[in-house]
Amino acid sequence: MFAFLRRRILSSALPLLAVILGVFFLARLTGDPSNLYLPLSATPEMRAEFAARNGFDQPVIVQLIDYLTQIVRLDFGESLRTAQPAAQAVLQAFPATLQLAGTTMLIAITAAVVIGSLAAYRPNSLADRVASLLSSASASVPDFWFAIMGVLVFAVTLNWLPTSGTEGMGAWILPIATLLIRPFGVLVQVVRGSMVSALSAPYTKLARSKGADEKRVIFGHALRNAAAPALTVAGDLTVSLVNGAVVVETIFGWPGVGKLMIDSILERDFAVLQAAVLLTAVTIFVLNILIDVCYALLDARVRQGVKA
Amino acid sequence: MRAAGAAAIVGVLLAGTACSVANSDNGQAGDMLRIVLPEEPPTLEPCDASLTATGRVTRSNITEALTERVPDTGELEPALAVKWEQTSDTTWTFTMRDGVSFHDGTPFDAEAAAFSIDRAVNSDIGCNVDGYVFSDSELTVEATDATTLKVTTAEPDPILPLRLSFVEIVPTSSDAEGKIREPVGTGPYQIGTWEQGSSLTLKRYADYWGEAPAYETARYVWRSEGSIRAAMVSQGEADIAVGLAPEDGAGEHSVEFPNNETSYLRIDAAQEPLDDIRVRQAINYAIDREGMLSSVFAGLGEPAGQVVPDGVTGHNPDIEPWPHDPKRAASLIEEARADGVPVDTTITIIGRNGIYPKASEAMEVVQSSLIDAGLDVKIQMLDVNAWLEYLLRPFPSDIGPTLLQAQHGNQAGDAAFTMEQIYGSEGAQSSYGTKELDEMIEKAEQTEGEQRQEAFANALAHQNDKVVRDAVLAHMTGIIAIGPDVAYTPNSATNDELRLSEMQRNG
Repeated sequence: MFAFLRRRILSSALPLLAVILGVFFLARLTGDPSNLYLPLSATPEMRAEFAARNGFDQPVIVQLIDYLTQIVRLDFGESLRTAQPAAQAVLQAFPATLQLAGTTMLIAITAAVVIGSLAAYRPNSLADRVASLLSSASASVPDFWFAIMGVLVFAVTLNWLPTSGTEGMGAWILPIATLLIRPFGVLVQVVRGSMVSALSAPYTKLARSKGADEKRVIFGHALRNAAAPALTVAGDLTVSLVNGAVVVETIFGWPGVGKLMIDSILERDFAVLQAAVLLTAVTIFVLNILIDVCYALLDARVRQGVKA
Repeated sequence: MRAAGAAAIVGVLLAGTACSVANSDNGQAGDMLRIVLPEEPPTLEPCDASLTATGRVTRSNITEALTERVPDTGELEPALAVKWEQTSDTTWTFTMRDGVSFHDGTPFDAEAAAFSIDRAVNSDIGCNVDGYVFSDSELTVEATDATTLKVTTAEPDPILPLRLSFVEIVPTSSDAEGKIREPVGTGPYQIGTWEQGSSLTLKRYADYWGEAPAYETARYVWRSEGSIRAAMVSQGEADIAVGLAPEDGAGEHSVEFPNNETSYLRIDAAQEPLDDIRVRQAINYAIDREGMLSSVFAGLGEPAGQVVPDGVTGHNPDIEPWPHDPKRAASLIEEARADGVPVDTTITIIGRNGIYPKASEAMEVVQSSLIDAGLDVKIQMLDVNAWLEYLLRPFPSDIGPTLLQAQHGNQAGDAAFTMEQIYGSEGAQSSYGTKELDEMIEKAEQTEGEQRQEAFANALAHQNDKVVRDAVLAHMTGIIAIGPDVAYTPNSATNDELRLSEMQRNG
């Protein structure tokens, strides 16, 4: 298992470096931030002073080396906007996103397992139809539209939920519902598909022939074997939730890292943008490793493949 | 089965809290004024209060200036200074108000005023107000006694008291070497709590020198979606929502007001074919301003002929918006073509997303009118920073002739804050000017009173007749949503300065 972990971590280092370099250069391609931070009538001296203070007067390669040396020391620079450490801004915003993404995935997985299993167990039943409706909706409904319609229907018309914000449990419902739609739709399909093949597999038939009751057949035998593909997909979906969080957090004023990234891009706040992307990337890599470990625990072939 | 159980519990939990939370949130009015802004202020630094996002919260709420401009009349009123007079060509003397204290308890005096002006105008901390209002000229400030302040300028400055209405006063204990995020001021409100990313609360300052404001606390939140801001007022989650567009759906709560912004297209007159005045005139004749206002801007706003609106010193009431005359436009283009002007060169409209509601639709209307007139026009829509590269010197080279979508608000109420920057040959936002116009602007800046009004009005007329550096589109209209419990009348300054003390309880 340690060899497996070491190999996974090492193979993550290269993409991580690509992310660091990519965001560094792409940010700088978007133009000189001094226009945003200095008055419209700023003199060339004021501009030069701004550039010198923030290191923008150096050649890009020197800036990059400085940046890389800094992050090795876990110094992520200062926000141009607020003059506070960039790491602080990101660490402050991160829990809000994790809470949102975590709760969403928990609900998505739980609901997908229940509906997907029922759909597989009884083809063409109500659960089966709900499953296929939801999964096709999830592929076609843009989250932006869904969020705004949610506000219109549940906040403005029915007055059941607050429009936005973070206060109270009610404020969680629309953001989670918006984030939920895609992973839920996909997971239902994956669970249904793997359950259909698991339920017709020889080991299920064997279990049934030995007289095991249906609950045990479904949850003990079939679901355990169907879980691995669902888990991999769930991992990928969790990663894509960060993209969804950008839209959801911006619309609902949720103070997470998605909103922070958008604000940093618009404000050309390079240090915060870089720190936010880096931390997100690290989180995603850790998450992927965790999924691989779980997968390996579930499926002996993966572990053995590594040992061989 | 455990999974299904968990799902059921989560479902019940969420459904159960939904109703109660929505209701409790809505009933939170009372002594708190709830405002929803489009963006969080990046800082509350008083010397950056000329930035809209900062000024909206800071100016006249947390900090105050020596003088205060009345938005409707343009008159200058006493604030922290009770009177002022010009004591020599280059010197103004201000008398400070007595009995004023800062939120930290220290008394306000001429020393604090001198410190604040020095910090904002003469320091190296890069204050926005420095370039915006003072064009980087240095001032000499001296507190001769506790209530007397002498301010000396290098050149005579007839509007110095107006310029100082932009300098927010902070105590001498404030950082003179760096920006401050949470300032101490003399205003009716002091900073309560600032939960980064979520909300900002101001609370009433008990020892305020003026009349106590109606609300004990003011709470700001920010939502970037206009429709959400509007919905928050309809829902009773907020009392005031700013920066709305007609389509945001604030309905009965929406209040329109002239927001002091004028939209225009800057013509890059230094480049072919725009260097030919006939082509620039043709552009002005080709645009149907009335049609654009009714079709794109939901009928809000007024067609305009100059960037300086009524109420600002220098506004020329005789300048009419250019008439819509597509035939004349086409014939001017043909005339230029016959003289060898390369009118077929592609002209790029550099637009800015969100500069006003339906910004890109407005540019599409312009594009189609100009194509009809015989020009070749394409549109490029940019975000703020990328657009600023085109707005400000040094301009990007090798991009061909451009028309820049722009908007100008003269919050200070004097054409001096418009003319040199926008129309001067060397202006920060100008790629073209004439010597004659430069001289007219320079002369106007030295005059005062009636003469000043006339001199700037003449310069604007000259620009419109002889230079034609832009196509002014419209004086714009802002929309704010006001909830049923609050009485507030927005004015031309509302966009940049949201005075909490002007907001009262309804009934």
